[in-house]
Amino acid sequence: MKQKNEHKNSPIARRRFLRLFGSAVAGGSILAVTGGLIGKARGEEASLYWQIDPQKCTQCGRCETHCVLPISAVKCIHANKVCGYCDLCGGYYRSNVKELNTAAENLMCPTGAITRKYVEDPYFEYTINEDLCNGCGKCVKGCSSFGNGSLYLQIKRDLCTDCNECKIATVCASNAITRVPLSVAYKLKD
Amino acid sequence: MKNCRKIGLLSSLLMAVGMAFAQNRFPKPDFESGYQYPDMTYPIPDETLWTALDIFLLIALMSFVAWAVIRKRTRKPIIWVSIISVAYFGFFRSGCVCSIGSIQNVALALVDNSYVLPISVFLFFMLPVVFAFLFGRVFCAGVCPFGALQELVNLKNYRLPKAVTTALGMIPWIYLVFALLYAITRSSFIICRFDPFIGIFRLGGDIGLILFGVLLLITSVFIGRPFCRFLCPYGALLSLFSRVSIWKVEITQKPCINCELCHHACPVDAIRAPYDNKVKETRLEGVKRIMHYCIVLPLIIVAGAFLMQSFSGQLSRVHKEVKLYDMVMQHEADPQDILSVELEAFYGQGGTLEELTEAYNAVQADFRLYAAIAGALIGLVIGLTLISLSLKRTRTLYEIDHAACVACGKCFSYCPQNKI
Amino acid sequence: MKKAILRNIAIVSAIFIVTFSIMLITNYFQVRGTTPLQAEVVETLKELNDQQAGNPALQEQIRQLDLLARKAYFVRMDHLMTGVYILLGMLAVFIISARFYFAHEKEIPGKEIDPIDEWAIKTQARKYVVWAAVGLAAIALIMVVMTSPYLQKPPSGEENKETEMIVQAVDADEQAMPQEAVTEEAIPDAPTEEEEKEFITEDTTSQDIEAEAVEAPAVEAAPQPVVSKVTHHAFRGNQSNGISSAKGLPARWDLSNGTHIAWRQEVPRRGYNSPVISGNRVFFSGADEEARELYCYDLTTGEKLWTLTAANIPGSPAQMPQTTEDTGLAASTVATNGNQVCAIFATGDIICADMEGRQLWAKNLGVPDNHYGYASSLLIFGQTVIVQYDNRNTPKVMAFDLATGAERWSKSRTEKVTWSSPIIASVGNASQLVLMGNPAITGYNPQTGEQLWRVECLSGEVGSSACSANGIIFGASEYSKLVAINGADGSLLWESVEYLPEVSSPVATKDNLYLATSYGVVVSFDTQTGELRKEHELNTEFYSSPVIAEGKIYLFSNDGKMHIFAANDEFNLIDSFETGERTFATPAFTDGKIVVRTEKSIYCVSAN
Repeated sequence: MKQKNEHKNSPIARRRFLRLFGSAVAGGSILAVTGGLIGKARGEEASLYWQIDPQKCTQCGRCETHCVLPISAVKCIHANKVCGYCDLCGGYYRSNVKELNTAAENLMCPTGAITRKYVEDPYFEYTINEDLCNGCGKCVKGCSSFGNGSLYLQIKRDLCTDCNECKIATVCASNAITRVPLSVAYKLKD
Repeated sequence: MKNCRKIGLLSSLLMAVGMAFAQNRFPKPDFESGYQYPDMTYPIPDETLWTALDIFLLIALMSFVAWAVIRKRTRKPIIWVSIISVAYFGFFRSGCVCSIGSIQNVALALVDNSYVLPISVFLFFMLPVVFAFLFGRVFCAGVCPFGALQELVNLKNYRLPKAVTTALGMIPWIYLVFALLYAITRSSFIICRFDPFIGIFRLGGDIGLILFGVLLLITSVFIGRPFCRFLCPYGALLSLFSRVSIWKVEITQKPCINCELCHHACPVDAIRAPYDNKVKETRLEGVKRIMHYCIVLPLIIVAGAFLMQSFSGQLSRVHKEVKLYDMVMQHEADPQDILSVELEAFYGQGGTLEELTEAYNAVQADFRLYAAIAGALIGLVIGLTLISLSLKRTRTLYEIDHAACVACGKCFSYCPQNKI
Repeated sequence: MKKAILRNIAIVSAIFIVTFSIMLITNYFQVRGTTPLQAEVVETLKELNDQQAGNPALQEQIRQLDLLARKAYFVRMDHLMTGVYILLGMLAVFIISARFYFAHEKEIPGKEIDPIDEWAIKTQARKYVVWAAVGLAAIALIMVVMTSPYLQKPPSGEENKETEMIVQAVDADEQAMPQEAVTEEAIPDAPTEEEEKEFITEDTTSQDIEAEAVEAPAVEAAPQPVVSKVTHHAFRGNQSNGISSAKGLPARWDLSNGTHIAWRQEVPRRGYNSPVISGNRVFFSGADEEARELYCYDLTTGEKLWTLTAANIPGSPAQMPQTTEDTGLAASTVATNGNQVCAIFATGDIICADMEGRQLWAKNLGVPDNHYGYASSLLIFGQTVIVQYDNRNTPKVMAFDLATGAERWSKSRTEKVTWSSPIIASVGNASQLVLMGNPAITGYNPQTGEQLWRVECLSGEVGSSACSANGIIFGASEYSKLVAINGADGSLLWESVEYLPEVSSPVATKDNLYLATSYGVVVSFDTQTGELRKEHELNTEFYSSPVIAEGKIYLFSNDGKMHIFAANDEFNLIDSFETGERTFATPAFTDGKIVVRTEKSIYCVSAN
C-alpha cells in the first residue's frame, strides 16, 4: 500500500519535499550555530595575538628556526630600566671572554645585532638592531643566567603574520607562547 | 574603604614588580652624567581596520559573484574577483585567517567554553556558509584565494574517470573529521599546519608544503581545482548547504538542447549527463540493494568507531601534553644525562608528575570519546557514499550537481542557448 | 600572428620559470646549510680561542670567517627574496600569456560515441569506495596491532635501574678480579674498553705493589700515629666550619725561593676543589674532558700515592655537562673520615674509596642541571656522606652509606641551584646539618634528614657556605644579606646588608664573625648584635675562604697573597705576603703544615 502511494507521488514531488526539508535543516543549523556562538564571539578584547611570556621562556632557540617567516618575527627586546648597564654583559660577551672588546671572537650575538654605547664609568647602554636580530635568544640566555634578565624575547607585532596556529607555539618547549588580547600585545619588563 | 583598595592594589603591584625583577642581580645604576633612559616603543598595528576591510571585501566579493552567476550568467567578473582575492586575501593578507581554517576555531569554541572566538573568525566561517545556503558556493568561485589561485592557472581540463573522482571525493570529509577531532581536543590545527598554499602566499615557509602546493598548482593547470575537489574540508561543508540552496546556479534559462558542451567545460565535473535507466533489474532488486546498504551502514559506523577508539592512544600522540608525558615517562624509567629542552622546561618550571598524569589522563579520555565519534562519522561518510552510489535516477537533460558546483561560471559561455 | 607571439612568450617564460625555480631551490638549501651564521667552523674556532687566549692569528681567523659567514648569509637571503619576486613576476607573465593564448580556443568535443553509462560508473565507484574503506580499516587494524603494548618488548629494567655499582673490596688480590668483571659486564662494547682495561690493570698492579708496600704501615698508622692527629677532613676543616685546631703553623713562606716549602707538585688535572688532610695523606680531585680523578698524596714527601678514576659508572654522561671556566668539572672538595674518602664531580658521579685507593662503590646521581657547574662539597657525618644536590632538575640532599653507597636518607628541597656546601653546626649537644640555598637556610638532623628549621632569607645565586659558632648559624650571600640564626629554634637574630661575600665563606668565633667579599674588603661583625666592628680594604679579590687556626685568620686572595689577621676583637692585619701562585682553593691545616692548592699546583708548607 505504502509503495503504491509513493509510486503515485511522482519522484519530482518527493524530491521537492526532500529539498524543502533539506533547506529547513540547513537554515536551522546555521541559526543554531550562530546562536550557540554569538555569546562566545568577542570583538576587540578577544585573545588574538601570539606572544611570549618571558618568565616562562627557556631560550631553547626554536623561535629562530620554526617561525614561518624567512627571518623570525621573534626579536630580542631590551628593558633599559632593568638593565644593570654592566661592562661585562652576559648577553653581549660570550662566557669565558678574556678581553672586553668588540672583536668577533668575544661577542655573543651571531649577527652582531647588539651594540653598546659608553654612558659613564662604568656603565654601558645596550641597544638591539632589530633588522639584524634573528631571535636566536643566545643573548637572552646569557643575560638571564649572568645578568638582570633585561634582554628577553618578544614577538614583534608588526612582523608577525598571526597564523591561526603559531608554528613556534606548537614546538615551544615551555608553553611560553599563548594568545593575548590587544591590550597586552607585548609582555614588557619595563 | 577606597583607600583600602588602593593600598591593596599598590601592594599587589609591588609584588608583580618583585616577580619581574626577581633576576635583579645587579643594582640599578645611579647615573651621574644625567643620563636619560631611552624611550622604547613597540609598534602595535591596528588590526581592526584591516579586519573590517576583510569582512567588507568578503561580503562585497561574494555578493558580486552571486550577482554575476545567478543574475547575469557571466564569468568575466569572477576572473576579476579571483585576481583581487589572490592579491588581497592571498598575498597581501598572507592567507590568515581563512574560512577553511576557521572551521577549527568554531569547532573548538562550540565544545570549549573557555576558548574565545574572535568575531572576525566567526564571520569568516559563517558568511560563506550563509551565502552557500542562499546562492550556492559563490565563495569557492573566486573569493577563496585558494580556489581563485587554482582557477587562474587552470588552462585545460583533462577529466579523470568519474568513478575515481567519486572515491577521492571522500577525502575532504575524512580530512574534515580529523581536523575537527584534533581541533576540539586542542591538539593541533591540522588544516593550518598542512596548508599547501599559505607558503606560496607568504613567499616562504616549510619547503615540503610549498612543493606540495606547487605540485597542486601544476596539476590544476590540467585538471580543474584538485585542492577544492579532493582535499578542501570547507568545500565539503559548503556542499551540504549549496545542495539545498535557495537560489541555484542554472546554466541557461532557456530549454536545454542536450548539446553536451557544458558537460565538457565544467572543471569540477559537476554537470550530470542525461541518463536513461537501462539496467536490467527489477525495482525490487534495486530496493533490496539499498536496504542491504542501509543495514550495513550501522555496522560500518560501529566498526569505524571501534577502530578509531582502539587507535585513540596513537592519535593522541599529536597532543603536546601526551608527547611531554611520554618523554617524561621515558626519562623517569631510564634517566638520560642530556635532557631535551622540553624536559628541561618541564622540570625547570617545577612541573610535577601528578599534574602531568592528570592532564594526560584527561586528554586520553577526550581522545577515546572523540576518536570514537570521529570513527563513527568516517563510517557514516563511507556508508552514505555507498548508498548514494546505489541510487538510480533517470534524467533527460543536463543538470548541475549543486553540491559539487563551485559557481565558476565556465559553462555559461559554452551553452549555445545563452548566445541567442 | 598575435597567437604565435603569445605562445612564444608563454614557452620562454615557462622555461625561465623551471630553470629559475631549480636555482632557487638549490640556493634555498645552501642557505639552510649555512644555518644562520652558526657556521660550525667559527664555533669550534671560538671554543679553541676560549681555551688558549691571546692567539692573534686565531682571533684574526675567527674575525675573517665570522664576517664572511654573515656576509654570505645576508647576501643569500637577499638573493632568495629577489629570486622569489622575479619568479612570481615571470609566473604572472606566463599565466597571462597562456590564458590569452587559450582564451579563444574552445574545445568543441565531438559527440561521444558511447553514451555515458552512469550505472556502470556508479558500480565501479562503489567498488573503489569499498576498496578504500577496507584498505583504511586494514591499515588502522595493522597500526593498532603493531602499537599494542603486548607486542612491545618489555623494557629491560634490570640493567637500567641498576645504576649502583658496588664493588666490595676485601683485599687487594680479590679486588682486581671483580672490578674487571664489572667493567666488562657494564659496557660490553664500549670503544674505550681496551684502554680502560689497560688503565685498570695498570692501576691495580701499581696498587698491588702499593698495597704490599704500604699495607703494613697503613694498618698500624691508626693506633700508632707517626703524624699529627689533627685532621682536615673536608672543605674548610672537619665540620666545614673554617676552624682548625692545628698548631705550630709556619708564619711565612714563598714558592719562588722555596722558603718553608716542603714539596710542590703540578696538579695532574685541573679543579677548584680544596685539599683535605687525614693522617699522612692529602686528598683532592681533578677533572677535565678526558677523566675525573681522585688523588692521594703523601703529606710528608709529596709523592703521589694513588689515583682513582671515576670511570665505568652506569648513568655517567658520555658528554661532559656545560660548566664555566671558573667552576669546572671538579669544584667540589672531597671528604674523608680517615677510613674512606669520597669525591663528586660535576657529572654527578660520586666515588668512594678506602685509604689505599680501592674503589668501594661508585654511582651517578643524575647529571645536575647547573649553569656554572656543580660545586657543593661533600661532608662526612658518622658513617654517611652527605651530598647537597641543589640543581635545577630535582634539588635534594642525600646521605649515602660510606661502606656500601646505599642511600640512607634523601630529602627533596625547594631551593634553586646552589653552589655552597653543607656544614655541621653544634647546637647545644646536638649536631645539625646546615645547608644554604635560595631562598632559605635550612637545618636538618644529619642522622635522619629530618628538617629542624628553615629560614627564608636569601636570594640570587648562593655560593658561600654557612658557618656556626656557639649555637648560632651565620649565612650570607652577595646581592642578598647576612643573617644570624639561632640554631636552637631557627629564629632570626639579626641581619645586615653592608658587606656580603660572593664565593668566600664566612668564619666565626664566639664573639666575632669574619668575612671576605669578592671585591677585597675583609670585615668583622659582632656575633651578638650584628654590629660592624672593623673593615680592611685590601684592593684584591677573595674566592678562597678564611680559616681560623692558632687564634689567627688565614686568608688567601686570588692573586696568591696570604693575609693573616688576628682572630680577636681588634682584628688587626698581622702579615700579608706573596706566595707566588694564584690561589682560589681554601688551604688545609694540620700541625705544623699547611697544604695549599693553587691554580696549577699543590704544595705543602712546613714550619720545619
